[in-house]
Amino acid sequence: MGPSPISFFLNYGLAFLLGRNILWDIMKDKLSKIEEEALQAAAAVTTEVDLQQVRARYLGRKGEITAVMKGMGQLSPEERPLAGALANEVKGRLETAFTARQENLRQELMQQKLANESLDVTLPGRKQGRGYKHPITQVTEEVVAIFSALGFGVAEGPEIEKDFYNFEALNIPKDHPARDMQDTFYISEEVVLRTHTSPVQIRTMLEQEPPVRVVAPGTVYRRDSDVTHSPMFHQIEGFLVDQKVTFGDLKGILTTFITEFFGSNIDVRFRPSFFPFTEPSAEVDIQCVICGGSGCRVCGHTGWLEILGSGMIDPEVFKSVNYDPEKYSGFAFGMGIERLAMLKYGVNDLRLFFENDLRFLKQF
Amino acid sequence: MKVTLNWLKDYVDCDLSADDLSHRLTMAGLEVDAMERLGEGLDSVIVARLADVQQHPDADRLTVCKVETGSVTQQVVCGAKNHKTGDLVALAQVGTVLPGNFKIKKSKIRGQESCGMLCSVSELGLADESDGIMILSSELTIGQPVFKELGLKDIMYEIGLTPNRADCLSVVGVAREVSAMVDATLQLPESVIIESDSPASEKTSVVIEDADLCPRYAARLIENVKIGPSPEWLSRRLEAVGMRSINNVVDITNFVMMELGQPLHAFDFNLLREHRIVVRRAQDGDQFTTLDGQVRTLMGSDLVICDGVGPVALAGVMGGGNSEVNDDTTAILLESAYFNPTTIRRTSKRLGLHTESSHRFERGTDVDMVPFALDRAAALIAELAEGAIANGVIDIYPEELIRKVVIITASRTGQVLGLDIDADDIRSKLNSIGLKSELLVDRRDGAVSVEIPNFRPDLEREIDLIEEVARLIGYDHIPVTMPVSTLTCQQLPAHLSLERQVRDQMVQMGYSEIINYSFFNADCLDKIRLSGDDLRRQNVQILNPLTEEQGSMRTTLVPSLLETSSRNRAYRTEDQAIFELRPVFQPENGSELPCESLRLTALLCGRRDPQGWAQSTQNADFFDMKGVVEQLLAHLRISNVKWQTEHDEVFYHPGKSCALYQGKRLLGTLGELHPEVLHNFDLGQSAILCDLDVEALVELSNDTVQFQPLSRFPDVQRDSAFLVDSDISAQQALDVLGQVKIKDLESIELFDVYAGEGVPAGKKSLAIRACYRAMDRTLTDELIQNLHGKLIKAMERELGAELR
Repeated sequence: MGPSPISFFLNYGLAFLLGRNILWDIMKDKLSKIEEEALQAAAAVTTEVDLQQVRARYLGRKGEITAVMKGMGQLSPEERPLAGALANEVKGRLETAFTARQENLRQELMQQKLANESLDVTLPGRKQGRGYKHPITQVTEEVVAIFSALGFGVAEGPEIEKDFYNFEALNIPKDHPARDMQDTFYISEEVVLRTHTSPVQIRTMLEQEPPVRVVAPGTVYRRDSDVTHSPMFHQIEGFLVDQKVTFGDLKGILTTFITEFFGSNIDVRFRPSFFPFTEPSAEVDIQCVICGGSGCRVCGHTGWLEILGSGMIDPEVFKSVNYDPEKYSGFAFGMGIERLAMLKYGVNDLRLFFENDLRFLKQF
Repeated sequence: MKVTLNWLKDYVDCDLSADDLSHRLTMAGLEVDAMERLGEGLDSVIVARLADVQQHPDADRLTVCKVETGSVTQQVVCGAKNHKTGDLVALAQVGTVLPGNFKIKKSKIRGQESCGMLCSVSELGLADESDGIMILSSELTIGQPVFKELGLKDIMYEIGLTPNRADCLSVVGVAREVSAMVDATLQLPESVIIESDSPASEKTSVVIEDADLCPRYAARLIENVKIGPSPEWLSRRLEAVGMRSINNVVDITNFVMMELGQPLHAFDFNLLREHRIVVRRAQDGDQFTTLDGQVRTLMGSDLVICDGVGPVALAGVMGGGNSEVNDDTTAILLESAYFNPTTIRRTSKRLGLHTESSHRFERGTDVDMVPFALDRAAALIAELAEGAIANGVIDIYPEELIRKVVIITASRTGQVLGLDIDADDIRSKLNSIGLKSELLVDRRDGAVSVEIPNFRPDLEREIDLIEEVARLIGYDHIPVTMPVSTLTCQQLPAHLSLERQVRDQMVQMGYSEIINYSFFNADCLDKIRLSGDDLRRQNVQILNPLTEEQGSMRTTLVPSLLETSSRNRAYRTEDQAIFELRPVFQPENGSELPCESLRLTALLCGRRDPQGWAQSTQNADFFDMKGVVEQLLAHLRISNVKWQTEHDEVFYHPGKSCALYQGKRLLGTLGELHPEVLHNFDLGQSAILCDLDVEALVELSNDTVQFQPLSRFPDVQRDSAFLVDSDISAQQALDVLGQVKIKDLESIELFDVYAGEGVPAGKKSLAIRACYRAMDRTLTDELIQNLHGKLIKAMERELGAELR
């Protein structure tokens, strides 16, 4: 079924009556004028908000192009698609122009902003509260790390210790002059504040069969207090027991440790000493880190600094932990953490470590 | 132990330089602690004659001396009293720098010109102390340097001897070591004894009653002695090694002790009742006055030397006042003995009486040296004190001590030291220090049999000899090797690793670690208001503390932490975040050793942020510290903890503190300090403390991490504000919300607490944000409305909350 005769007339007859060509021309005119106006308006705006308004005025649903297009019904059927196409062309061009203008405005705005904004970058940054590990802890961890890398485990023991572990088992019997080497705090006749970390050696060996490679950091106590002695200080003990361990091995391990800790250019020397729990015993000196070996106050003008006590574990000690001295041998060593820290950081007063002045602690 | 180079050279030819010898001694195990060049730079101290001594016109204690130095006469003002006209003295001329960097300048003293100084022995560095100036022998040449004239240019070595080296407590002992170093022979001093006709045995006797404590006792009677000052050389020698010159006889006994290591004692023979000696144990409670004038109470375990009536000396430790050699002494009984080391040590230790003599006896002297030293001293007394040595030596030695024989093998030596060595090498090394060793040719392991002389009581086992060999080779010559050992896994034990993590976390959160002494004075617990029956009042006490302040072991870290804070405030460090992670000590019933448990105690005060132009200037508060503890718990993966308002800790502000629990286990406490505690430690306005039981944290920590899948669907958040009574705690609200079981509820956060304008009195507003999300779908508005409604209802029902 085709269009009814009435609607046919309305569509074609009215247009004919009003003069179709004139309407079409007017519409074309209007559209080009609108386009020109819109482009001018877009060029004139200075903000994105104004541009949006311009866009709405011309391209919006209630905008001018839409208004013109409402008159399209009066055109002839042949003209209508042309008009539609023309309107879309205009819309497209305006759309492009507006977008370009928008980008243009954004750029302008950004440039303006960049030109106006700046910081005094020389002002200090915002600080986070920072904590510091005590230098004694830092040095302990560093020493442990070196020995860990060499395959040593870590062990611990009590700070209040039985005389047996602290002395007897280490071949320091009662009434022996060697007890004078370490002034002791007593809790009772049989209980002391450990004077060294060596009792950990005994405890570990009583628990473990060789091979054993262990370091034992810890707090120790001696009844002595002056510029160079603190009644409480820290040591790290280490020992290695296996078959066929030699004094040469002791030299090897300790030399390696010293060069790792102090740097490879430092001279090391081993000299005879005495500890009741090692034999042969050796004191280990390094070239003075302050004067480089030429002699100064710190090294007592000898050019050498004592940093370690060491030796081959005495067969008597093996007997007290039920190791067979014929089958096993081993070495042990011990060093003072405070001394290492003083040399490493150039600290000249032992007492500073226990005064806990934050101005001191925050240097490490 | 002090020795001088000149003295050493009396027994060994040694042409090492002073520095070389010092180095060699140190490397042989005789560590040189100090070396002093006696007389160095002191050539301008010259022999001068006092031509005139007058009282200073304006000072009672001073004299004005005219001093002849050969060519000129100078005026010197002197403060000593022991000089007179005609004396030869030591004049330090203007420009001399005396020991201790004391420079002599031309000066005026109370108006009198003084060109130089008359020196005492101590001012010249020859002795530690002295009375008056040095009066020199009249035979010296005026104008010559004093040190040259007296032959005193010398090197003094102070050797830090290890307790095993009793043999080196004598100049001869050190010389023996030097002889091994330079491959020279040790020459012992020779004594020529000329005895009188008077037989000693008729005049005196010695009886040893307790031979277990005194294996050997020898004596000589010397008559007609003249007590007087020692000759110059003897005084100087003793002074150079740190001893004071007393009189000729006493000085000789000291000289021989220093020379040979054998302590000697001289009794005034006429003061010995019944003129005889009995060596026996003391009786419990005996009173005895030693030479120093102290009355000593003796015990049955002490060994005493008695005369016919009672004690005259504390054997090996100190003589008695009742038999002391004095200016009127004419006959002496000279003692040379060997005492049991342990006995001497016990007595000396108990009485706190440490002498040169006891020092040697307790380390073990050489029993074979007893007669030798006796004769050496007797000959010197005869020579220097005009004494007549009575005929015959008394030497009681009931049971001869047997010299040990020890076998050392080359194979074992090589094994221990890590080098190749043959038996012949070992033999010659050991013989160089006076041991008698010979190869055991019938054995294949390179065995050497070594007879140990009695001057080396420290050598008892093969390992002792191996050490001697190592020492004599030189540790420097032992090759450096690395051990070959079986690999085993050596992880840090879990509790140590966790302790380390806790410390690292605290440091990361801005706290600085402190280390305080483990000692305290329990009185400081009053300052933190602990009650009398608080468990921490029971502490481990030190029997022999250095000070009262260090009398016990800490039972809490709190007081010392507060003291540290206070001290830092005094240094004007007001913003503090500090912590201590150390053990505390508590006596434990039924255990010999106390309980040591690790605690973490932290303090925060002052501003929250570091100072700066862009920093907050707000002060830190309770919640800063709580945040720290929460983060620590999160790091250790400890969950299900409760913050409880009720607790017993009295050093906190009661309204601003809490305890932390997991179940019934108390993990620690946290809070603002009580104003009284702040006052007691001078801590300013406010400080926040936490005190945690690290043992508990370590036990409850959890290192298992289980991955939770992530939802790919969006979350929906709903905020609600509730009005509740102001005494309802946040924890109560969160507990109520937590009770509601909603599967897709991802989290609930309390994001605002408010009271004040717009909220009725007695109420507060708690605002929560609930976040919903499902694993498998997007949740609809309707569903969420429904779920959220459950939360609201629960709040209304349980806490009477009203939705705002």
